[in-house]
Amino acid sequence: MAIENAHLTTLQGAYDVELMEVTLRVRRYAGEGSRPETRSYTVEVATTATLLDALDVVKDKLDGTLAYRKSCRMAVCGSCGMRMDGGAVLACKTAMKPFVDAGHVVTVSPMGNLPVIKDLVVDMAPFWQKVHAVKPFLDTGGVDDPETEWRVTPRQSALIAKESLCIMCGCCVSECNSMDSDPDFLGPAALAKAYRFVGDVRDGDARERLKELSGAHGIWDCTRCYFCNQRCPKGVDPRDAIAKLGGEAFREGIARDEGAKHAKVFVQSTYKGGYLRETELVPKTIGPIAAIQQLPFAFQLARAGKVPNPLAPHKAKDNAEVKRLWKLLEAQAPKHRERATRAPEGA
Amino acid sequence: MDERYAYYPGCLASLSQKELDSSTRAITKRLDVELVDMPSVTCCGAGDIHEAKPDYYLHLSARILGQAERSGCKTLLTICNVCTLNLRQANQRLTEDPAELARVNDNLKSAGIAGYDGGIDVRHLLWEVSSGDGFERFKQIAVRSLEGLKVAPFYGCQILRPAKLLGFEDPDRPSSLERLIEACGAEAIDYPAKVKCCGFPIVLAREDVALGELVQPLREATEAGADVMVTPCPLCHLSLDAWQAKAADVAGMEFKLPVLHLAQLLGAAAGVEESQLRFRRHIVRLSDDVKEKLRLPSVVSAD
Repeated sequence: MAIENAHLTTLQGAYDVELMEVTLRVRRYAGEGSRPETRSYTVEVATTATLLDALDVVKDKLDGTLAYRKSCRMAVCGSCGMRMDGGAVLACKTAMKPFVDAGHVVTVSPMGNLPVIKDLVVDMAPFWQKVHAVKPFLDTGGVDDPETEWRVTPRQSALIAKESLCIMCGCCVSECNSMDSDPDFLGPAALAKAYRFVGDVRDGDARERLKELSGAHGIWDCTRCYFCNQRCPKGVDPRDAIAKLGGEAFREGIARDEGAKHAKVFVQSTYKGGYLRETELVPKTIGPIAAIQQLPFAFQLARAGKVPNPLAPHKAKDNAEVKRLWKLLEAQAPKHRERATRAPEGA
Repeated sequence: MDERYAYYPGCLASLSQKELDSSTRAITKRLDVELVDMPSVTCCGAGDIHEAKPDYYLHLSARILGQAERSGCKTLLTICNVCTLNLRQANQRLTEDPAELARVNDNLKSAGIAGYDGGIDVRHLLWEVSSGDGFERFKQIAVRSLEGLKVAPFYGCQILRPAKLLGFEDPDRPSSLERLIEACGAEAIDYPAKVKCCGFPIVLAREDVALGELVQPLREATEAGADVMVTPCPLCHLSLDAWQAKAADVAGMEFKLPVLHLAQLLGAAAGVEESQLRFRRHIVRLSDDVKEKLRLPSVVSAD
């Protein structure tokens, strides 16, 4: 079948293209003061079409007022993040054929956790503000411009390989559950970017970065819902990056935040008895005074049998094994963050 | 479904959520499945240890997986989302990278601990009972129809996402809990927040942020007319149950929504005694109406 829509393929005339009919339900919103509504569009597209291809046909053939962002069409620029059936995707990376084959009509809407400007276009300003807040550039830590280059081994480079893949599309932010609850949370994209520099062996500012990231709305706001890892179209795994930031902060001894103290109780519990010590968790996380304020709540839990006896904590058998393991691993663990070396003069 | 499982209850079911342990033992017995206890296992190194001391977490998990292997079972059975994700993540790292497995085994050996050969699969009770012959077996034993009971399924996060490590079902449109609820003769309520976070991991460190998350499933399930909520995760349970009153204050509405562990719902449908399901250990108590709909023996015998 010859193809009549030139934008369906740049190879028009070179190949026969099979067509399919696709219906999209698209969330339309004309801006402040108007009410969002959902409209259905049915268009004919190539069987190889992506969601972005289908939107292009809708815009060209049916409704030129439809607004969405796009640029590279090859999952590199990060412009076309939007929700399909409630989950953020890159429109240019999402093939439509499986949905057509399944007889499923998808619903397209703007990404979440960001203000909507028009239709599928969101205001990325809060996103960029958070990325900028983590100082997304190399800081050599007071060292003057180097006379010679840094030497970074492939292994050292691999430490931040995943975080370096980020294309800043915002898909990870769209369904972030902590940001939904706390709009000021730095969020997965900015924190993954932060680890890209904390983990960079050339960076000399890691300790200061980690101190700032350990405050309110930082690392310890993450609720570990893993929506970011699920949504990221590039395999950055932002939640894993946040965990690495927590580990680095822990190693640097930056443990004044409640989240870090919570983690510390876990670690000490397994050392002491193999299991988590729930009764130590509250006072050691939030401090003794706040813990006393929580006492009525604790009594309520105790009445239902939910507070284990703190005087006779549950202990795993053979916990001496775990103590030996802990000591061995602590002795092996690098005490300091790894730094790159400089090539010698004339090398 | 296997005949025998290396049973890993994890911290919560051994401590504050003992009703989950007793319900699990009761329902697996009815399914004619043997649970093999691993007496010297520790915390799996979940979440916090994983974050603060990643290498320690990996070794703790390897030690547990090694004990599962020596129990003669091929699958380690979990009843907690967080244990499921963390043990599967460690297992994947160890089985996909022989050099890493060798390093970890060397360390275990130096500490006088037997190693891990990489032959264990980690699976949650939900997966085993909602699919294949496990599901067929459950339908056989679900003799008490819970008709009239409206159940809001709450999955929680770490049994769905990241799918590349869990992969049992579509993380955005899961159906395993619904399948089981219907097999119990009850009605599954649908609501968007069933796949969202309960806020538990940060409820101590960031209570306001956590409660902002927790109110969503409670509000949506209540508004959809749920009698009870059911979850496969004891951490979600603790958040949804013990922090429910605080969430109600934030939401400015009453919930009074009893939250059941998955094993308790299955147990009620299979006619397990209330003494093993132990609903009394919950903060939000069952109303008489819900007790009747759950066909609890005490209520049935009073009829």
